[in-house]
Order: sequence, then structure tokens, then C-alpha cells
Amino acid sequence: MMNTPGLLPILATGLVHTYVGNRTWALAGVDFAVERGEVVALVGPSGAGKSTLLTLLDGRLRGWHGAASVLGLALGPDRPPDRVRRAEVGFIFQEFALVERASVWRNVLNGRLGRTDPLASLLGRSTAADYAAAEAALLDTGIAELRNRRVDRLSGGQRQRVAIARCLAQEPKLILADEPVSNLDPLRSERVLSLLARTARQRGSTLLFTSHQPELAALVADRIVAMRDGRVVFDGPPERLDPTELDKIYRDEPLEHAPEPVP
Amino acid sequence: MITAADRPTTHAAWPAMLPSLVVAAVVIWAAATTETDWNRLGEAGPRILEFLGRMLPPDLSVMPEVARGLAETLRIAVLGTLGCVLASLVLGPLAAARLAPAWVHRPVRSLLALIRAIPLLLVAMLMVGAVGLGPLPGILAVAVHATGMLAKFYAEALDDVDVAPVAALESAGATLLQRLRFAYWPQIAPVVLRDTIFRFELNLRESLILGIVGAGGIGFYIQTYVRSFQYEKAATVTLAIAIVILLIEGANGALRRWVS
Repeated sequence: MMNTPGLLPILATGLVHTYVGNRTWALAGVDFAVERGEVVALVGPSGAGKSTLLTLLDGRLRGWHGAASVLGLALGPDRPPDRVRRAEVGFIFQEFALVERASVWRNVLNGRLGRTDPLASLLGRSTAADYAAAEAALLDTGIAELRNRRVDRLSGGQRQRVAIARCLAQEPKLILADEPVSNLDPLRSERVLSLLARTARQRGSTLLFTSHQPELAALVADRIVAMRDGRVVFDGPPERLDPTELDKIYRDEPLEHAPEPVP
Repeated sequence: MITAADRPTTHAAWPAMLPSLVVAAVVIWAAATTETDWNRLGEAGPRILEFLGRMLPPDLSVMPEVARGLAETLRIAVLGTLGCVLASLVLGPLAAARLAPAWVHRPVRSLLALIRAIPLLLVAMLMVGAVGLGPLPGILAVAVHATGMLAKFYAEALDDVDVAPVAALESAGATLLQRLRFAYWPQIAPVVLRDTIFRFELNLRESLILGIVGAGGIGFYIQTYVRSFQYEKAATVTLAIAIVILLIEGANGALRRWVS
């Protein structure tokens, strides 16, 4: 227990959370770990707790219980992680969360803000390392020719790539991606997801992404973790995710041992 | 079928009539207690014509003084606007619910409402008392008075921002100042520019009369010429002011279209 958290990008035990005013668990005791360099897909029906878990691991959820360590440091339920830690964990948002009125280049460069001197960046100065990382991210995501376009003039697929490029420019050791392709058509979904998994592997980053399409997730992930009603109900290689398992994850009846609602 | 019970009773009708009665009472009170000789309106026609006649032709020999006065008014409006922008850059964020806790933004908002409630001329008279005659009290008065509105507008722009990019930048390790610069500012910039231009136009209009209380600008000449019955000169001032206002209105309209 003393040494293992340092080795694992994610180690979580007994994570429990309920949203204010809700009488059901968003997280009902989640235990799981992710190894360094792994590409892990988090699947399950909507409301299973996937996004909550990702938000928790990004240090933006308050008031949860249990123990979680990310990149070897314990997260606290009452405070956000410090700046260095936030810069090391990248997050790709479902609705892109881009600055619409700014250029593609500026948005990608925004991914570097946690890694640059705050005062210099306010004066519009970035380091050579910032430019190099942003440039590499543009090239990896195939949007180098869009750099001077304003984000509000882009298509959904292009925005998705900008959001991914911003995260890659951050050079995170761990990438958390919340439904990174939910806004794309099936063909583009597969292409962008493969791109994300490939670049994460090339850069040696660990990737944990959520998806509501288990078949698609199985194409790119090393491991599938399925959640339902705030619990992990499947954890294994994609090959083991057969129709029987899928049925268990997605069928309509509640689980036999459904958690008691919070009083 | 309508029965007696369905009809509104007189008791029920009273509350509905109350607002109309209050308005009527206020108007009657104002008309009845104002000590005005209404007959004067009847014999005023010829006098107004005579008055207008005395303004003609405008005495253009005072143009140099008028131009100097207008330039000073313009300087007061420009520097006063600069002052209220600087103050609003500090007070606006402090009045925004998104950036400041309730124990900060509530009192700041109340302070801004109080400032807005004091008319500019009153602020200017206080400033003249504090720093003496001239354009300085005018600049200070405009800066203080306009901050009440501008800081409120800035706060509203900040509160209307899409929070998703702000959260994204925070997640990437950005500090509060970095989030203000790179997530808030791009979103509020057009609104802030539009509101600032609008406030500058208001500042210029309101500064025209500051000279009446000794706070600098063209107002001094309006006061002097009217009080000394030099209506031909007052006419020149009036014309010059009208032309400047029309020009500024046109320029601001063009500027606002360019911003949006």
C-alpha cells in the first residue's frame, strides 16, 4: 500500500458519492486501478457514474468518500489539486469546452497555461517548449491548416480535434476523456478515437475514456471497465466483452443487489 | 347563466382600481400645488418668437471660445471615461457573483447602486467643493458617477460567460488571472467594448452642463451667455453642441457595428 500508489496512474478504493438532492448513489463503492500506459475504456448505460468518476479523478468533484490516488498522489474530496498536478492530468470535455471566439492556435496554446510562468503568459509570452508542444498537437490531430480559424467557425468534428489537441499540448501523463467522440458520426467517431488512443500510446500517456458505445470502445482499448448503478460490473480485456456480458451491463432490470438509497 | 354570485362585487373591484386612483391623485396633487400662473402660457407665444428672434443671427465671433470650451468638455469626457473604466475593471469583477463570494459582491453591488442614485451635477458640486473649480472636479465627477453603471455592466458580462472553457482551463492548471485573461476576456470583450463606448457617449452628453457648477467645459459659456442675455452667442454654443453630439452619435454607431 505504501509503494503501489506511486506506480499506478489511477488507484481507487471504495469511492462513494451522491449528488445533493439525489436519493441514489452516483458512485456506490468503486474499486479499480489503471496501469501506466494502459488505454482503458469506461462503458455502461447513462447514469452509471462514468462521468462522475472521471470528474472525481480530475479533482473537480467535492464531498466524495473513499480513497483515490492519481499519479501517485492522494486526491482530497475537499480541495482541488495544486497547479502542477492539474497540468499533469489532461481532461477532454464532452462538449469541447473551447473558447469559441478565439483561434484554434490560441485554444491549443491554452493547454499550456498550467506549464508556463503565469505572469509571462498574461503578457502573451510563451516559451519555445509551449510552441513546440502546441505545434506537435496540431500535427498529431491533423488540424495544422486550421490554426488561424476561429473555433466558432468550425464543424463539430474539427472542434473535437481542437479539444483533443489542447489536451495533448498539455503533455499530460494521464488523459481523462469524457465521451470524446459522442458528437461525431460513426465513421468519424472511430477515426478520432483511434487517433486519441494512438497518440496516447506514442506519447506514453495513460488514457481513460468513457463511451456509451462498447463495440467502438473495444476496438481501441486494452481493457474495458463497465459500470452500472455506480458500481464496476465488468473489468477485463475487450475479447471477454461478449453478448452475455453486454446484456448484463445494459439490460433494463435493476441489479439484484441494488444499493440502498441515501437517507 | 350569470348569477349575482358570479359578478365581481364592489369589494373585489376596489383593489384593481387602486393603482389608477394613486396615479390620478399624484397628478392632481402636482397640478394643484404648483404655483404656476397658467395664463402666462397664453401670452407666451409672441414672447417666445421674440426670444428666438434675439438668437438670430448666431454670433459666430465667439467660435474660438466655444471651440476651447468644447475641447475641454471632450477632455473631461475622455479622462472621466478612462477613470470609470479603470475603476470598473476592479469593481466589476468584485460585483460579479461568479468571481466574488456573496459577502463581497453584495456590498459592492449596493455601493454601485448608491453611486448611480446620485445625479452627476450633485457629484460635480461636491467635487468642486473638494478640489476647487476647473476641469479636474469634472473629470472626477464623471469617473465616479459613470462607475456606478459601467462596473455593473462589466459584472453582468462576467456573470453571463460560458463556464465550460473556464473549467477546462482550470483543469489544465491555469491560475485565476490566466482564466480571466484567456477564458473570460475573449467572451466578454465585445460586450465590454460596446458598453464602454455607450458610456463614453453618455459621459460626453452629461459633461456639457458641468460648467454650470464650475466643473469645467462648455457649460461655463452656456451659463455666461444666457445669464448676460447674449442670446446670439448662446445660439452659437447651442448649434456647436448639437453638431458635436450628432457627430459623436454617428461615430459611436459605426464603432458599435464594427465591434459586433
